[in-house]
Amino acid sequence: MLSVRDVSKEFILRRSAAEWVRRQPGDTHLAVNRVSLELARGEILGLAGGSGSGKTTLARMLIRLVEPDEGQIVLEGLDVRAARGRQLREVRRRMQMVFQDPYSSLNPRMSVGAAILEAGRVHDQPGSEAGGPFVARLLDLVRLPASAATRRPRELSGGQRQRVAVARALAVGPQILIADEAVSALDVSIQTQLLNLFLDLRDELGLAVLFVAHQLSVIAEVADRVAVMHLGEIVEIGPTAEVFRAPQAAYTQTLLAAHPRHVALAEALIPGGPA
Amino acid sequence: MSDLSVRSLAVRHRFRIRRLHNWELTAGIVVIGVLMLAALLAPNIAPYPPNRLDIINSLQAPSWHHWMGTDFVGRDIWSRVLYGLRVDMLVVAVITYAGLVIGVVVGTIAGYFGGWFDAIVGRIADTVIAFPFIVLVLAVIAIVGPGLKGVAIGIIIAGWALYCRLARSEMLALREQPFIKSTKALGYSHLRAIFRHALPNLVRTSLVYSTVDVVVNMLVLAGMSYLGLGQQAPGADLGSIIASGQSYLLSAWWITTIPGIVLVLFGFGVSLIGDGITSGELLQGAL
Amino acid sequence: MTALLRLEGLRIAFQHRTGSTEVVRGVDLEVGPSETVGLVGESGSGKSLTCRSVIRLMPSHARMTAARVEFDGRDVLGLSTSDLRQHRAHNVGMIFQDPFSCFDPTKRVGEQVAETLRVNAGMDRSAAHDRALELLASVGIDRPEQRFRAYPHELSGGMRQRVMIAIAISAKPKLLIADEPTTALDVTTQAQILALIEQLRRDSEMAVLLVSHDFGVIAQACDRVAVMYGGYVVEAGPVDEVCAEPRHPYTRALLESIPNVESAGQRIRRAGIPGQPPNPAELRPGCPFVERCTLARESCHDVDMTLAEVAPGHVTACPIVAAAVGAASSTRGRP
Repeated sequence: MLSVRDVSKEFILRRSAAEWVRRQPGDTHLAVNRVSLELARGEILGLAGGSGSGKTTLARMLIRLVEPDEGQIVLEGLDVRAARGRQLREVRRRMQMVFQDPYSSLNPRMSVGAAILEAGRVHDQPGSEAGGPFVARLLDLVRLPASAATRRPRELSGGQRQRVAVARALAVGPQILIADEAVSALDVSIQTQLLNLFLDLRDELGLAVLFVAHQLSVIAEVADRVAVMHLGEIVEIGPTAEVFRAPQAAYTQTLLAAHPRHVALAEALIPGGPA
Repeated sequence: MSDLSVRSLAVRHRFRIRRLHNWELTAGIVVIGVLMLAALLAPNIAPYPPNRLDIINSLQAPSWHHWMGTDFVGRDIWSRVLYGLRVDMLVVAVITYAGLVIGVVVGTIAGYFGGWFDAIVGRIADTVIAFPFIVLVLAVIAIVGPGLKGVAIGIIIAGWALYCRLARSEMLALREQPFIKSTKALGYSHLRAIFRHALPNLVRTSLVYSTVDVVVNMLVLAGMSYLGLGQQAPGADLGSIIASGQSYLLSAWWITTIPGIVLVLFGFGVSLIGDGITSGELLQGAL
Repeated sequence: MTALLRLEGLRIAFQHRTGSTEVVRGVDLEVGPSETVGLVGESGSGKSLTCRSVIRLMPSHARMTAARVEFDGRDVLGLSTSDLRQHRAHNVGMIFQDPFSCFDPTKRVGEQVAETLRVNAGMDRSAAHDRALELLASVGIDRPEQRFRAYPHELSGGMRQRVMIAIAISAKPKLLIADEPTTALDVTTQAQILALIEQLRRDSEMAVLLVSHDFGVIAQACDRVAVMYGGYVVEAGPVDEVCAEPRHPYTRALLESIPNVESAGQRIRRAGIPGQPPNPAELRPGCPFVERCTLARESCHDVDMTLAEVAPGHVTACPIVAAAVGAASSTRGRP
């Protein structure tokens, strides 16, 4: 469904005064280096890597928050890079992003319901004329009560805000969700709730998800396939179980080794009793 | 989920209590409210028409007939002050907030798009700010001619630039926030992103600043009228009343002092409101 | 073994205009010399404040009371200002989550280390400079002479954390408190920093109090662990035991909800904990976990959260589990 081929991005850092005078080009940083990947319908693809690996830049290039320098991005036949105006809006409608920081991804002055409804209305989504039911349906999809619609973001917890962000993304009827470290800022017990939500959405709506995260454990929980990035390149890509059990690339092996070990849990909380 | 409703109740409860405790805001609102009421109802409560000459009763000290005395041609000071306040408050509100609107809109757009527009706007704003405020106002008056119109235009031209700078720098910070980035990801138009999302979040600083600005502009307006460049005779405004009483400062002190006190009250009330908003903000941020 | 650090009945409340909110509601904690103790909990559990109470580093609107806060036998609560400064300078070193905000951005990094040495150890300029270089090397910074002259923003997060550790250990403290030291770091850097802390601990027989929300980090780095929830310690014990046989519903639910790499490809849905961590402002008497607990009963609202032993060195605040474990061991005939 989504095909990315040889996409690159080089950031030009500011030149110092001395470099400008001598007409030297400033330092450049090759964030993404000829990366290719495919995302199929209903698939959750994990994008793993440390900071500086380029995974966030790559994710942002897909919706053109950052413009790629070269390469092709094709979404169901639509050329993402060449899209302008209405076509670009359509592309953006089909690929939605959920950001990392729950505290700044929602407009603090807008109620939850208003934010979700606005998204639906801007893209003329069916049902968005009827405000209440439209919002209620979306809140239900993300397992929030309908009463959340009148709340402001500051009245909600981090996990709840992320759900609202997901609901807002879903309001435009996307086919792909890009989760850019969407659970990294949450408590572990809430994190798992959100991960289950992504799995549910994939099952119920057939959404494809590009899940960007730096923690392999989180990716292991949700992703069918995983692409591991290092210094702007994909060093390994394949089904999650295979990659994590038998990593081929040296960097993947390093990442896996660095993850804290897991201790097996006992059967039940109370010996001989219910768990 | 009951915890949602309990949490929001707790939030609202706390906010309400803080408003009542915020004596600065309340006091400021009371003072300005009284002044505004007086100005609004001037035609109804002024005992005399402000320009009615009554030479026989000129330079009367405050008395039962003339609560604040009369001036050198027998005009009732109380009435003149009321009408003057009316003119002043209206003009000051218009020019301050016209400047704010222009400055904030231009600054927000400049900060959002960056590039050449931002560069040009930035240079113009910097130049305007570099001029001493009053010099700029005087220059505009010299071109347009004396009178309220000249002062108004002058203050707007000199005043918008600071709001522009304020809004622009807030926009630069806001632009990086995910909720603004998400307007792009959601495919919202630039117009919507700027006016529906960014602007409401950055207007607060400018509004707080405007409380300071209102006082400054009031004093400039009064000052220009005092110099004869503002409200022209026979119209009354606080500055011109003060000017008219200047020669009688020692004998008929009421002509100058009363409008002066009203000016001070105005400044005091507005400052209280400004302080009240800011301290209310700080507390609200801690929630 | 006499404890190096002893906290008993620690309570910390925030004052505000309409009253006060208790965030730490009665915490008991002990750290032995040369021991690594982990304090694990999610946001709002009170773990950060608890570790800061050791050096009385409280926000101005916080009020701290305790039956006992003792360090090396000495009472910390009653220390005078100058004694407190000595205590902070020489007994305890502390490192924080965000290495960036702890540095003066306008001063070179090495200079900031040397400054600590000059102020706290009374060294002169050149001795402090040399010692600072030694310290930078000991925390695994390569080319210390070069890094000495770097500014904080020129270093990576991992480097900055190392420098912060260098500053913290410069006075050879008996206890190192690490408040979420690896949360802002890459996984690979995280492992390195934890290894560094462990190595330093072994070399100088320092005790470590490691605070984190990440159980994996705690399991890897600590000997003992205390689990906090809603301002209380709900379980404490040897880390392997607590992780393998948790004796509190929260600990178990938390451990179960932690994602792990081995579950890749298995289509098992992990159960998170339903609901939200508690808001300190909405506290009620009894166990704070009652709303999210699978074992909850009416009597849980009257629980006083004292810790009961369920195995040697292993305590829990859940009377239901404690009773069940006690019953189980007695039916098996153990004394």
